[in-house]
Amino acid sequence: MTAGKTFIEISNLSKRFGGLTAVDDVDFEVREGEVLGLIGPNGAGKSTTFNLICGYYPANTGSIRLDGKEIIGQPPHKIAALGIMRTFQHNMPFEGMSVTENVMVGAHTTLHGGLIPVLLGTGRARSEERALRKKADELIDFVGLSEERDTPVTSLSFGQGRLLETARALAGEPRLILFDEPAAGLTPSECVRLSEIIRGIADRGIAVLLIEHDMHFLMSLAERVVVLNFGSKIADALPQDIRNNPAVIQAYLGDAAVIGADTENGSGADA
Amino acid sequence: MADLLELLVSATASGCVYGLIALAYLLVLRPTGVINFASGEWAMMGAYAAYVISDAGGLPPILAIPAAALVLAIIGWLTEWLTVRPLVERGAGHLAPILALLGMLVIYHQVVLLSFSEDQYPLDGPFGFGRIEFGLLAGSYQDFFIVGATIAIFIGFWLFFERTVWGRSFEAVAINRRAAALMGINLRMVTALSFAGAAAIAATAGVLDSPRGSVEANMSLPLAVQGFSALIIGGINRVEGALLGGIVLAFAEDLTRRYAPIPSGLALGVTPVLLITFLLVLPNGILRAKEAK
Amino acid sequence: MGAAIRWGGAALIMCVVPFLLPLYEMDVYRKMLFWVALAISYNFLFGIAGQMALSHFAFAGIGAYTVVILMTQAGVPLLLAIPLALGLAGILAFIVSFAATRLEGFYLALATLAFAQLFIVILDEGGALTGGTGGLTSYKLPLVFGFEIQGPWLAIAMALVLLLTLAFLLRIDRSWYGRACRAIRDNGEAAAAMGVDVKRTKIMAFTLTSVMAAGAGMVYAFFDNTVNPPVFGLENAFMLLFMVIIGGSGSHLGAIVGAVLLRLLQDMLEPFVGQFHVMGLGILMVVVILVQPKGLVGIWDDLVGRKRAGRRKAKP
Ligand SMILES: Nc1ncnc2c1ncn2[C@@H]1O[C@H](COP(=O)(O)OP(=O)(O)O)[C@@H](O)[C@H]1O
Ligand SMILES: [Mg+2]
Repeated sequence: MTAGKTFIEISNLSKRFGGLTAVDDVDFEVREGEVLGLIGPNGAGKSTTFNLICGYYPANTGSIRLDGKEIIGQPPHKIAALGIMRTFQHNMPFEGMSVTENVMVGAHTTLHGGLIPVLLGTGRARSEERALRKKADELIDFVGLSEERDTPVTSLSFGQGRLLETARALAGEPRLILFDEPAAGLTPSECVRLSEIIRGIADRGIAVLLIEHDMHFLMSLAERVVVLNFGSKIADALPQDIRNNPAVIQAYLGDAAVIGADTENGSGADA
Repeated sequence: MADLLELLVSATASGCVYGLIALAYLLVLRPTGVINFASGEWAMMGAYAAYVISDAGGLPPILAIPAAALVLAIIGWLTEWLTVRPLVERGAGHLAPILALLGMLVIYHQVVLLSFSEDQYPLDGPFGFGRIEFGLLAGSYQDFFIVGATIAIFIGFWLFFERTVWGRSFEAVAINRRAAALMGINLRMVTALSFAGAAAIAATAGVLDSPRGSVEANMSLPLAVQGFSALIIGGINRVEGALLGGIVLAFAEDLTRRYAPIPSGLALGVTPVLLITFLLVLPNGILRAKEAK
Repeated sequence: MGAAIRWGGAALIMCVVPFLLPLYEMDVYRKMLFWVALAISYNFLFGIAGQMALSHFAFAGIGAYTVVILMTQAGVPLLLAIPLALGLAGILAFIVSFAATRLEGFYLALATLAFAQLFIVILDEGGALTGGTGGLTSYKLPLVFGFEIQGPWLAIAMALVLLLTLAFLLRIDRSWYGRACRAIRDNGEAAAAMGVDVKRTKIMAFTLTSVMAAGAGMVYAFFDNTVNPPVFGLENAFMLLFMVIIGGSGSHLGAIVGAVLLRLLQDMLEPFVGQFHVMGLGILMVVVILVQPKGLVGIWDDLVGRKRAGRRKAKP
């Protein structure tokens, strides 16, 4: 999939926690239908970057533009309504609700009727509800949870929880979807399935921002990779070039195997 | 002026009682995240225990205090073991233990009502009734005794938390349960001891307070309410906060009752108004948390 | 169509029953309806929206006192006093929740408990306006077309309030709004990330259910033509919490079962054991929390589910 026009543009983004600068003057952009990888050692500021995009806390400096419009300062629910949906690094399902209802909550921002039609029980409200249920079921099929539709959310496996979060985020008809280490804790076969799902999402023209430690997983999906270290961006390049970027190797020093750097002949490109 | 100074002594004594109940809340709240509304019942039960021990058991009042604290420590420990531990081990949320303890509150209250025939029982303070004057400061023996005992207890707890390995492990659990478990701290033990200690402290508060009035089942609700109000006012992050909150609350109550030009019934509104104000304006209380070390 | 018949049937039964009961039982019955109506709306607030508020009875009291004061002291006609009282309850609820919904968990419980306490202090000290600790007594509903609304007719009024409350809450519970409330209860952060306006949703749930409580309180005020502070105090606020949890919090049926059961327990046991029936309440509470957090309704589901599973297994 060739990437479309720029959807989100981040510039000079910084976030400090007390004396610690978790995100330091970062800029990058994500285009429609593109999978952008975001990597970096633990504590590099990846999740913080996500939280800034989602409006979870205010940035100290910088701007985040969506279709050219500034979104910094908007609360999380408004940002979701603008088409940015996310999954969490640690699964956060709604435990008291069914699988289908979880996904239906994801569609919250796509609903248009208020409470009055609901109270009056108008045909419009009922058909919207029916359509929503159908859409949720389709998404559950899409991520491959059809068998688990009636399983209590608390009994889902970790991997299934991931898939549920994916379906829930997709229900909001996002234009940008954020994945925070989605492959962590998945079995190899679940990884393959998730990878296919993410590919499918990008093919629908949705921009994907993907934090991932599993380099094999990331490299097979990402069209471009941004690398953070101690909050700063140290690289923004094609996957095959990242592996042999000296700054990146330096950042992962002692753990070169993680990025699959081929330090001997500098031809690690197999993507 | 003498009037005011006398008021100060008795208000300080009331504040100490509130502070002790707040400490009982705090001891449970810090490591478990649970607010134990039964703290007021524990105070009331402590007072009954002291009455039985000194009346039927014939122990002198000064010994009835630790004896009642011990009885309640056992009850607190049993409560934790019966109602809180199963919930924690099942991974139930914070709400479940709070609600289970509310159920226990009702049971405690009914057991006391069932076991005692009269509405009120007198309880003697260790020094009996009488007044002393230190220059302008004047108050009853019991008031001065309450203040002294409370200061001793708070210093003890402060030293325990600041200076002992055990106290530090309580603090570690309060800050992060999982990390504390990884450090090898026995969470079960810490939780059980928190409940036992909280019940003992609440009991002490009840025993100290009763000679100023009487031992009665009705004493539990006001103490429960004043205890958590003091806790919120002082701030839940530090042991000293409990005492400070108690004193502030007692002074606000007593000064309003005595000097504000409003009916005394309306002065009862001081506690809820202070509580609401602190929750909304200063939710961390007067004393802020110490910077993490 | 089926739904209309079911609701109509329920309404009919609830309205006929009070005419068949002797006076004392009729009074027990209509007071039970009052509790059930409150339990249903409280269940939405606590069990579905996840707000552990202890102000529900205070709002019932605000409805009751306001309508009585408006009618007897300001001479406002009933049909105007009702919307005014509901409006006042709504405004107060909005203010309380606007301030309190940023408080989580037991902090909300403490804030609303303080509010409820303050309400009682004001009632006790309200002088002629509220009648002080004795409350207001011996007022009367005006005649409606020359007809005196009393006795079983008030049971009908309460039944209608109850059914309206239930119908209203069932509808919104099964809509996007109910899902948003449950999502906030389960995980506020994730709900916000899904686009749910957490603060607004919470305020709405608090205000709506508090107004419903005020509605029930208004009818209650004319049961015995007396309102007094103890009814609207903390003890009953906690009782409501116990009802909802024992019945099964988050379930409408659970709220109804809990309220009916605990009222019956009280009315049937009180003559024999005095107030010690309260002990049973505490024991039930502890057992339910330990055994099945979904309450009696959850225990019932477990039993039926097990039986069904057994039958399925029995089939070859
Ligand atoms: N809410 C917070 N308060 C204080 N420090 C934080 C907070 N969130 C993250 N940090 C710190 O910011 C840094 C970046 O964290 P994070 O973005 O989670 O890293 P990662 O790249 O592993 O996702 C870490 O040092 C972390 O400890
Ligand atoms: Mg992270």
